[in-house]
Order: sequence, then C-alpha cells, then structure tokens
Amino acid sequence: MVEVTGVTKRYGPLVAVDDISFSVGRGEVFGFIGPNGAGKTTTMRILTGFIPATLGVAKIDGFDVFDNPREVKGRVGYLPETPPLYPDLSVGDYLRFVAEIRGFSRNERIRRVGEVMEQVGLGGWEDRILGSLSKGYRQRVGIAQAIVHKPSLLILDEPTSGLDPVQTLGVRDLINELDSTVILSTHILSEVEALCSSVVMINGGKIAASGTVEELCSLAGTPAYRIVVESSDGPFSDLGIIAAKVGGLSSVDTVTQDGAALLISASRDPRPDVASLCASSGWNLRLLERNKPSLSDAFVAVVKGA
Amino acid sequence: MSMSIVWAIFKKEMKIYFVSPLAYVFLAVFLFLAGLFFFLGISISGEASLRVMVGNLAISLLFLLPMLTMRHFAEERRQGTFELLMTSPVSLQALIFGKWLASMALVVIMLACTVLFPIILAHYGDPDWGIILTSYLGLVLVAGAFCAAGLFSSSLTDDQVAAGMLGVLILLPFWLISSATSILGDQWAEALQNFALLPHLRSFGKGTIDSSDVVWFLGFIFIFLFLTYRSLESKRWR
Repeated sequence: MVEVTGVTKRYGPLVAVDDISFSVGRGEVFGFIGPNGAGKTTTMRILTGFIPATLGVAKIDGFDVFDNPREVKGRVGYLPETPPLYPDLSVGDYLRFVAEIRGFSRNERIRRVGEVMEQVGLGGWEDRILGSLSKGYRQRVGIAQAIVHKPSLLILDEPTSGLDPVQTLGVRDLINELDSTVILSTHILSEVEALCSSVVMINGGKIAASGTVEELCSLAGTPAYRIVVESSDGPFSDLGIIAAKVGGLSSVDTVTQDGAALLISASRDPRPDVASLCASSGWNLRLLERNKPSLSDAFVAVVKGA
Repeated sequence: MSMSIVWAIFKKEMKIYFVSPLAYVFLAVFLFLAGLFFFLGISISGEASLRVMVGNLAISLLFLLPMLTMRHFAEERRQGTFELLMTSPVSLQALIFGKWLASMALVVIMLACTVLFPIILAHYGDPDWGIILTSYLGLVLVAGAFCAAGLFSSSLTDDQVAAGMLGVLILLPFWLISSATSILGDQWAEALQNFALLPHLRSFGKGTIDSSDVVWFLGFIFIFLFLTYRSLESKRWR
C-alpha cells in the first residue's frame, strides 16, 4: 500500500528527514512515533504530496507521490496537526466544499456530507460556524474532511492532541471503525499501543526502531516479575529456595519476619514454578505479577540512547 | 485546470467575502468614494459625464483592491487550509483563477451599485452612453489588473498587512510612471510610457475600445497571475 524508500528532506543545511524507508500493508494501522521535531510531520507531508522530498521515492498504491500527484491525492485523506478549517464557514458549507473539490456531484455531496457528519458525531452541527467550535469539535470536522472521499489511505498527524480523554476514546473508536489503511503520528504512546499493528520510531529524522508494538517494547529489556510471598507459620527464611528454583533473581526488595518481596527479571516466565513452590512449602502467595516493559520505556530508551 | 474546481473555489471565496464583514465594508467605502467623486465631478465641471468619477475610482481601486486580495494566500497558509487544498486534487492554476474571479465578481458588484449615478445623469442631462459603457469596461479591466497584482503580493508573504502594502507598492509605479516620464529624457519617456497605466485607460474614457489597450490589460493580468503561480510553486520547494 505504502512504500517509502530512502526518503530524505533537507531545508538548506537542516536535514529534517534522513534516509527513511518503511512500508505499510493494506488495512494496517501504522504508528509513527517520536519526540517533537523528529520529522514526523515532514514525512507525512511528503506522503501527501504537499512537499516534495529532496531524495528518495514514496509510493502509494504503486503511484509515485511526486510523479502521479493526482492518483495519490484521490486515494489519500489527510488531517494535518491543526485541522485546516475556514473559520468563517459553517460546518456544512465547509464539508460540502471539501467534497466538491474532491469531485462529488451536488447530490452526492449532500448525501455523503450528511453521512460523514453522523459518523464523526457532528449530527445537527451543520450550521455552526467553524470559528466558534471547541477544539474537540474542530478535530471532528478535521477528521470528517479527511474521510469524506473514502480514502484508501488515511494520514493523521497527531489526531488526538489537545482532546480530553472521552474525545480521545471517540477518535480511537473512529479510527478502529474505518476500514482504510491508517498512518498516524503521535507522541501519546498509549494510543499506539491501543491502535497500531506496527510502529516506526523516528528520532532526529532517522528511523530509530521499527516493528510491532511487542518488538519495540522488548527493546526496553526483558519483562520483570514481582513476587510477594508470606509464610503462614513462623519466620520466613527460605528465599534461597525460590532463587535456586527460578534462577536470575535480580533483587530482593524487603525481607521481613514473615515475608519477602522479590523483583525478578527472568528470561523465562517463573510464575508457574513460584506458584508450585509456594503450594508445596505452604507459603501464601500475595502477589505474582508480570511487568511488561511499556512502549514508553522503549521510547525513552531509544531517544536517550541515540 | 478543471472548471468545476475553479467554480468550487469561486463559490467558497464568495461565501467568505459575504459571511464576514469584509465585502460590506468594501462596498460601503467604495460607494462612499464613488458618490463623493460623482458629486465633485458634476459640481466642478458641470458636465453630464462620469469622467471625474471614473478617473478617481481607478486610482482609489489601486489602493483598495490590494486590501481586498491581501488575505487570499496569506490567510490560506496561516490557517493551514493551503495544505488542505494542495493535498486535494486542486491545481494551483484553478485555485488562483478561482480566487481572481471571486475578487472580480465583488468588483463587478461594487461597480453595478454605481449604475445609479449614470441613471441620475440621464434624468437631468443627456450623457453619452457609449462613453459610460466603455468607461465601465475600462474600470473592470483596471480592477482585474489590480486584483492580479494583489494576489501576487499575497502569495509572497504570510503576513496579510505586509501583503496589502506590498500590493500597493507594486502598483504605484504603474500609476506614477506617467508623471515621471516628463522629467526623464525622451528615449526613456517613450520606453516607460508603455508601462504606464493611465494612458491605456484614456481611450476608454473617449468612448472607444482600443484593442491594444485591452490586450495591455489582459497581458498585465496574465503576467501577474502567472507570477502568482510561480511564487506559490516555488514555495513548495523551500
């Protein structure tokens, strides 16, 4: 669906995007993460054909964004970081204008705009002036604008920035409902975890890491396990047994008279062993928890490590 | 350039003109000036003609129209809507032409409102309708030229006010050149005279349509719309 090969964008001496390559399959929700100023917006602008790349090739559905802008623009829906609205127009007038420049006939426009407004939760807002809308509603209009022509590829630049938690969930649900391929950029990592099948992490204009969410998480290290054990009768002194059984005991946080809290980072899951050990020794197992490194751990690791 | 896109842009611009106070303020200022010039014209000359009004309106438009067109590209870029247009199947040519047509439509509406004055003339005197018609044609052409230059200045900067000032600055030489030619030597005068605006309006004021003057104005419009295109196109690369 999307093939990006060796794309570079220079603004004079400044290199905004440096030799980026990735590909996105049909139907995928593809996440673009990275700190502010990493080159996410520039990459998206190149994909939409808004700015040309200095070097490299970007293809959408086999069409080069530079050589066949018409085919590409017809297939792509784009929501820039700030929704591109005319503050003087009403919601309906604006969306009908967008549908018109997208080539919809008069009747199709009216029907399709009504449909899209329902879809993004703007029903009954047709006559509101865009300039008077709150941030959340502007964002909805921005999304409506991007999907009005049923694009096969939807490019969203920070679609949930500045929204409250409920609105954020609304936008996520919307993205999940769409059956088009989606590329979204964000620095909100929970969003990527919730939505994306694969992720590219970009830092300083370069791809720092890429893969599935799980693959990226593993960059931040192996999972850690937290175990809290209590002995039911008398003092607790058998830490060594657990350690021997499990292997790779990384730290013992506290040992009290009648219990121990352990933090274990193990290459294999120690939980079944710990559980059976507790059962056979008559200890009470209070907590047995797996702490998966999160995407934000990976993010910090990559950004700091670069 | 697809005409349906031009039409879509045209309608959008007209909506924006008329939902904001912009168009009404312009109409008011323009009609006030037109009324003033009309009154002064007939009270000073005592002729049943629009000569004074038309001449002065042409100069007023030189200052007014860049203020009308200054927002066009400056604002699109500020609002980010330029990104919307450029990522839709909208060609720059269609965008520029649609915007120019919308500005022209507003000018034609403004001029249509001044039709009252020739009607008053006809009531009290015997004006030459041929001259009045050609004078209006001259005004439309001159306004077209000013709008084109105004659009060009708007494509140069994201700052609306700077764009407006720049538009006036671009147009002023075309007006003032006629006075400058008398100071300069003969060779220069002749060469520069071609660029002067007012001599090309003269034939319209006599009730004639000189095709070379029409071509001059159309050429002026074309050159500035083309420069607008080049300026917007080159911005993509930076």
